Amino acid sequence: MVHALTAAGFEDVRIVGRFDCFAGTTKERTARQFGVYGVNFSALRS
Amino acid sequence: MSLSCPVDLDVSRLRREVNAMYGRLAETPKGAFHFHRGLQYAERVLGYDGRALSRLPVEVTTRFAGIGNPLAIAPLSAGDTVLDVGCGAGTDLLLAALGVGALGIAIGVDMNQRMRDHAFEGAARMGLANVDVRGGDAAALPVATRSVDVVISNGVINLVPEKERAIGEIARVLKPGGRAQIADIAIGQRLPSSVVGNIDLWTG
Repeated sequence: MVHALTAAGFEDVRIVGRFDCFAGTTKERTARQFGVYGVNFSALRS
Repeated sequence: MSLSCPVDLDVSRLRREVNAMYGRLAETPKGAFHFHRGLQYAERVLGYDGRALSRLPVEVTTRFAGIGNPLAIAPLSAGDTVLDVGCGAGTDLLLAALGVGALGIAIGVDMNQRMRDHAFEGAARMGLANVDVRGGDAAALPVATRSVDVVISNGVINLVPEKERAIGEIARVLKPGGRAQIADIAIGQRLPSSVVGNIDLWTG
């Protein structure tokens, strides 16, 4: 996502938050296996 | 996150199944899903302001299924034009409408008619005249070029097969200097093609 945003003309692309959004769901094990999280991305249009 | 659609993935089927899943969520939010929903999840796990959420109709917040908190990234300014890509039943959309005030506008785009109905009815119930709900797809946004100050999105881009196109659309509609505040899935490793090509793992 960071690379794609940068390639699309965004600047100051940053990850600014992480959330364990699959904890307690039926997909928790898969999420843990592959390191899947919810993430906040921030980017400025140049 | 993989940004290219695998060549062996049936994009049309994926789109139909995503639409069907969110249609099911629109109809039966307390049904069985592979993701959390609702106000308490948004507050406890994602850090939403519970008092702000409590101002929204329960028909909207029970259908919330975000995976992050895009409105927490930076404050909105009064008078801003905000676009919510994949607005669903409207939780982030209505919070954005409150944030930009009567001089601003919050535009929501979603592919699912039943979700759009909930967002539209929620705005009406709150007396918000600055909400515009439109049918459409993240990969072809029905929004004018360079017309938006802030794009928000919550758990949507990961469901779009054409991710580069969706990000290109966000870039297109933003004004120069505008902000993208996107909550989405991040994956800590490259996934095998057997996983990426499995639609059941995309939609649960």
